[in-house]
Amino acid sequence: MRQHNRRVFNICYRFTGNRTEAEDLTQDVFLRIYKTLASYRAAHGGFATWMTSVTRNLLIDHYRRTKRDRATDSLDDAMPVVENKESTARRPDEQALLGELSGQVQSALTKLSPELREAVILRDLQQLEYAEIQRVLAVPEGTVKSRINRGRIELARILQQMGVRPS
Amino acid sequence: MNWTCEQTELRLSDHLDGLLTATEQHEFDAHVNTCARCTPLVSSVTHALASLHTLPQIEPSPRLVYNILDKTLGPRETVTGWAAVLAWFRGMNPQRIAYGGVSFCAMFLMIASFTSFNWKKPRVADLSPVNVYRGADRQAHLVYARSTKFVSDLRVVYEIQSRLQREDQLPSGQETTTPQNSPEKNPGRTDGSGPTSPKQQNRANDLVSHAVVLAAGCPALWELWEGRIR
Repeated sequence: MRQHNRRVFNICYRFTGNRTEAEDLTQDVFLRIYKTLASYRAAHGGFATWMTSVTRNLLIDHYRRTKRDRATDSLDDAMPVVENKESTARRPDEQALLGELSGQVQSALTKLSPELREAVILRDLQQLEYAEIQRVLAVPEGTVKSRINRGRIELARILQQMGVRPS
Repeated sequence: MNWTCEQTELRLSDHLDGLLTATEQHEFDAHVNTCARCTPLVSSVTHALASLHTLPQIEPSPRLVYNILDKTLGPRETVTGWAAVLAWFRGMNPQRIAYGGVSFCAMFLMIASFTSFNWKKPRVADLSPVNVYRGADRQAHLVYARSTKFVSDLRVVYEIQSRLQREDQLPSGQETTTPQNSPEKNPGRTDGSGPTSPKQQNRANDLVSHAVVLAAGCPALWELWEGRIR
């Protein structure tokens, strides 16, 4: 649990953009795993892949549950608070820029649709292979590649709309 | 084959992940470099991907692990009172406790003996740091004085032995005149085998008197002296 809780928490945080929700969801993930551990089979893939799959399912369930609540939220509430955990070796201005960029990227991530968001998080943040993402999402590999591609393009478009442009 | 903008958009991820073949990559680059629509698209997606890779790993709060354990294994029972004390003891290794206890007692006994603690009439005041220091200081001085006395006694014994050996080796007819000694000055030899010169007799008398005084204070020397006389 100590080995995996950081990874699960980061997936939940990047998906929800909210630290408190991410911690609650992480607890729910491990509770679900604790209860359904007997159903794990090595034929389904590695334990980490199975854990990621459980995490993804809970995230989608959470998203659907809170969909109605999000429709009435203000735009300000949707802006996540990203804690700066960068190395202290950077200069303060570099850190400030990085922190600002991280916040903007996180905000752009939460604006993606759930299918594209989870594909981009698993591929570009968790560095999973296409085959592993295919097992987690339970969709064909072609669909995985298509979602990742569309997710990246959509993310770039949102970042451009937010004024984050390439140097 | 002419690379189109739709192909560029479709195969963009393959290009970013390095999955295009050499031919495809060449055609992709040739199209992107000349297409006004695809150039900013590729540039913006490349930048977005680079920004994603700069996102740091977020550390969860330290309480998260314990919250997960509480949810899965249930809240931990807090033990109080004597049960907590007994649980603490139960968790320890009994062999190590016994070994540690015996070592502590042995050390305490050694220190108490060294500081001349009176076991027959023990007093709490004897355990005060000042009294412990005084006792240790007194014992240290006693040990030093006894060892110094022992070493000096050994030196005296060695000196007496060597002188007596030398006296035995000297010839007896060096002096022709026999000194007129009073009986009380005579050390007790009646067989006429003692030294004949006054100087040697006086020297022998001095040595004997010193040896008797020393022997009185040193039992080992007294035994040696008695053995010598016999």
